[in-house]
Amino acid sequence: MAQSGSSMGERTSTYEAINKIGRGAYGTVYRARDKQSGQEVALKKVCIPLTDDGIPMNTLREIALLKQLNSYDHPNIVKLLDICHGQQIGKDIMMFLVFEHVEQDLAMYIEKHPKGFATTQIRNMSREIITGVDFLHSNRIIHRDLKPQNLLVTSDGHIKLADFGLAKTYDFQMKLTSVVVTLWYRAPEILLGLPYATPVDIWSVGCIIVELYTLKPLFCGKSENEQLNEILRIIGKPSKEDWPEVDNIPIKWNSFDIENQVDIKSLAPNMCETAYSLVMDMLFFDPTKRTTALKALNHEFFLEEPINT
Amino acid sequence: MPGWYYDKKELRNTPSAADGIDYKTEMRYRKKGARFIIDTGMEMDLGYNTTATGVVYFHRFYMFHSFKQFPRYVTACCCLFLAGKVEETPKKCKDIIRIAKTNLDDLKFATFGDDPKEEVMILERILLQTIKFDLQVEHPYQYLLKYAKCLKGDKAKLEKMVQMAWTFVNDSLCTTLCLQWEPEIIAVALMYLAGKLSKFEVVDWVGRTPKHLRWWDMFVEDVTMDLLEDICHQVLDLYSQPATKSPSQSPPPPGQRSARPPSPTTPQNNRNGNGNDKQAMSPETPSIPPINTKIPPPSDIPQFPYQTFTNVPPPLASYVSAPPHLAGPPPPPPHLAGPPPNVFPSFVSHPPPFPPVVPPNAPPPPFYPNGPPPPAQPHNSRRPYFPHPPT
Ligand SMILES: Nc1ncnc2c1ncn2[C@@H]1O[C@H](COP(=O)(O)OP(=O)(O)O)[C@@H](O)[C@H]1O
Ligand SMILES: [Mg+2]
Repeated sequence: MAQSGSSMGERTSTYEAINKIGRGAYGTVYRARDKQSGQEVALKKVCIPLTDDGIPMNTLREIALLKQLNSYDHPNIVKLLDICHGQQIGKDIMMFLVFEHVEQDLAMYIEKHPKGFATTQIRNMSREIITGVDFLHSNRIIHRDLKPQNLLVTSDGHIKLADFGLAKTYDFQMKLTSVVVTLWYRAPEILLGLPYATPVDIWSVGCIIVELYTLKPLFCGKSENEQLNEILRIIGKPSKEDWPEVDNIPIKWNSFDIENQVDIKSLAPNMCETAYSLVMDMLFFDPTKRTTALKALNHEFFLEEPINT
Repeated sequence: MPGWYYDKKELRNTPSAADGIDYKTEMRYRKKGARFIIDTGMEMDLGYNTTATGVVYFHRFYMFHSFKQFPRYVTACCCLFLAGKVEETPKKCKDIIRIAKTNLDDLKFATFGDDPKEEVMILERILLQTIKFDLQVEHPYQYLLKYAKCLKGDKAKLEKMVQMAWTFVNDSLCTTLCLQWEPEIIAVALMYLAGKLSKFEVVDWVGRTPKHLRWWDMFVEDVTMDLLEDICHQVLDLYSQPATKSPSQSPPPPGQRSARPPSPTTPQNNRNGNGNDKQAMSPETPSIPPINTKIPPPSDIPQFPYQTFTNVPPPLASYVSAPPHLAGPPPPPPHLAGPPPNVFPSFVSHPPPFPPVVPPNAPPPPFYPNGPPPPAQPHNSRRPYFPHPPT
């Protein structure tokens, strides 16, 4: 279905789809096999609109960066093995991103473990997630959509970040497909339509770490407003001064009436003190108060002796 | 990016070679293609970085395809077009083609076919696949500037040296050096060459430690003198290559002289079988009028005083080895946009404006003030850096 390389002497890889695994919103992902090596791969099909001047600049720049990142071979980033283009259909061209195939994503992994995880394992997974995020951030990439579905778990339990770096390319597809993107891991500043930066990823990681303890998403809203309500119900309503002072904010501070206030400790009773402290550093409403990936890696949660619970 | 370096044997074993194109011809095609990208890029106000990226794509492309199968000027346009997008300095495909058309004769432009734009568009995908989407390319320029910041010594001399090295980096794009060595190493080698030629000897540098024998030991490892010389020679050879005799070559490049500047440490080297190598040389060649450059140096680059070579001719221009009727300064090092602005005209598109006069009995080269030069050393073609070529 996808072919890489050209007719001239060069290595040619063809891939054969085995089944569809992608549940994502932007491209279809297939489990496939490299016919030559027999290696299993994940094939992500992305449809790219051709402009009057060929492949759009944004897409090329994003791919350039992905390839460059890939050359560092980071252990917590899914490996990009190949890129090839497929047929042109009308004004669009198919692109196939070929990734190493990883057993499952974190959402499936959580589902498979209804009894939950040991603290040691949560600590290790958290550290790997943050290490991957720190790598992206130090390369000036914001993931923007960290969630269990975009974190892959290898057969030996290691984490690899996936589904990043194509934000601008996706932007276009978003306009085409009316996809529902989950809001559950979105930081307040995104929900409020404010400018955002790397702290949005830290927010998402905070949500994910809590989920590793509770096995269910921390904030589950069905709309921006509901999502914000959920957040404030749990982390508490920020003071009026902390509420961003921007005129065009769609949601007003006094439009929230918080009922059934709960806190994370009671939602995740199995969480240790240090984990709680780390998560709270990540879930500040104000993005400037949130910890960074680099700082988080030095949090006492990761410095503790492994404890088995 | 790993995987894009080749040894000399592999460079002779290309798809073009397999297609019956001899090595010399292929090198000429590469040089012309690179020159064309540089000139077109300059004419379109594309920066040195974009242009250099385009040239690297070009060289890489022909490690997988034959010049017989893919006409070089179409490829060149496509490389520049793609580099423009990747470096965020996009140019419309049709504009690139328009400029190309004005700079190519009809025969060459005919290789673009009936629908030149479509030709380039289709090639874009082949190009992307061939270069494996490795779009981000580093060039020696940034390293040159980084290294220069660490060197101590006379400021004016240092600046002159950096400008000269910059020129060599520009010209190195016409060789296959970017397929052989990382940009860091090319930068070191060409700064070494420029240092020799401009008599700027680096005796001290910032960050020096006792274990550093040479300034570049701080930045690159295992670089032998043989390797540096080999790199320098590959660039210097550009200035000695007789231009093509092909009748379709129009206009004939003014570099049709067999002037060969001496190499820094092996001045008696006669690799081209040219025995006249360093007959007449003068540090006092005619001054080269500055040409106006419309391309300002990039803002992220320290501003050096320009036209350094305007009154003091570049050492390269001071060697003439051809008989008087052919004699003239060697082709001035052609240029890209960048810190040394266009001190010299690019020799393909603009004939050099300076007169071909050089005193035949000029003083000896300035590089070996004390005694005769050391004997030529055999060139080491071994590659200590990438012993295993990519597969
Ligand atoms: N390399 C991979 N190995 C295994 N499964 C993958 C891989 N990449 C993606 N997937 C699966 O496909 C889903 C969608 O892929 P993703 O890259 O996130 O695309 P989308 O942008 O559509 O969300 C992921 O949630 C994951 O379950
Ligand atoms: Mg996804």
